[in-house]
Amino acid sequence: MRRKRKGIKRQDVTDIELNIIPFIDVFSMLNTFLLFSAVFVATGIIEVQVPFLSNAPQPKEEGQRTLEVKVDAAKDKLQVITEYSKDPRNEQKFDFPNTKEGMDRMHERLVSIRQANPTQDKLSFFSEDDVIWETISAILDAAKFRKQTDPVFSFKNEKTGAMEQDQQFVFPKIVMGSVIL
Amino acid sequence: MASVGGGSKETLTLNLYPMLDIFSILIVFLLMSYSTDPVSHDVNSGLELPDSVTMVTLDELPAIVVTKSELFVNDKKVADVVNGEIPKDQLGESFQGGIRPVYDELKRIADANKRIAAATINDPAQVGKTGALTMEMDKGHPFKLMKRIMLSAQQAEFVTFKLVVTRVEN
Repeated sequence: MRRKRKGIKRQDVTDIELNIIPFIDVFSMLNTFLLFSAVFVATGIIEVQVPFLSNAPQPKEEGQRTLEVKVDAAKDKLQVITEYSKDPRNEQKFDFPNTKEGMDRMHERLVSIRQANPTQDKLSFFSEDDVIWETISAILDAAKFRKQTDPVFSFKNEKTGAMEQDQQFVFPKIVMGSVIL
Repeated sequence: MASVGGGSKETLTLNLYPMLDIFSILIVFLLMSYSTDPVSHDVNSGLELPDSVTMVTLDELPAIVVTKSELFVNDKKVADVVNGEIPKDQLGESFQGGIRPVYDELKRIADANKRIAAATINDPAQVGKTGALTMEMDKGHPFKLMKRIMLSAQQAEFVTFKLVVTRVEN
């Protein structure tokens, strides 16, 4: 139903209008640029090392009996091997299937090994040639990274010499033992 | 509703405020994600990365990229990849299990890095320090291929590898 407008005289008021067209222009250009340059896949890195070849003689660690931890990966099974560098070597082997559950159990075993040997932060990784990179990354995840429910391990800061807590890693140093001439 | 004989025109006005609202929120979100990511890197379309729970972010662009069918070193193609292996005719001269073209490229990079380091770093002990390489590889490739590349890099004095993965929730 239409209403008849009453004849109201408008006063001469200068209305200030905000011109938002340039604003929309800038916003749309900025959005287009940012959407094209945005990366929506979060990438990260797993850091590993290979044995370093050197002509220098190996430093002798006389009297030091250190624990060596190795993980051996095959297509269908995983094996954790612990052995001391001097007698008695007390070699122990723990077998797990190369499945998600097997990797979880392997992770628990590695956590308990690290708990028993807090100063041992290095692990050697060996793999057969036919194991694919996707499987290897899952194994390295299980060996290297700490879960929320795991205890926190300490490490010595090389710069300050102080002991600090490591919230991220179980074994921060992974050496690809298979990569050797 | 059209009126017969009438002359009134109905004007349609576009309400821009909701659009501005969305635009401003989108821009704030994109600017925030743009600034917090130290390195912006688009994963090569010829490969798929494996998942990992790592929290360590990518800090430099990959020097070695291994797609499903090609191998690149610093954006330069050095070899083909066929069924997860380098064809024998592209391995180069016998190189103790490594890949000759990869070694040649990495040696060039290592020598250039040493020259730069010698010119800019004051402490001589730091100059000869071993280098790190970032490598991006398709998740379906076997360890044999990764081992060949690492052997080649090891010969060129690169002993630390940063293997690129897709981050997922722990």
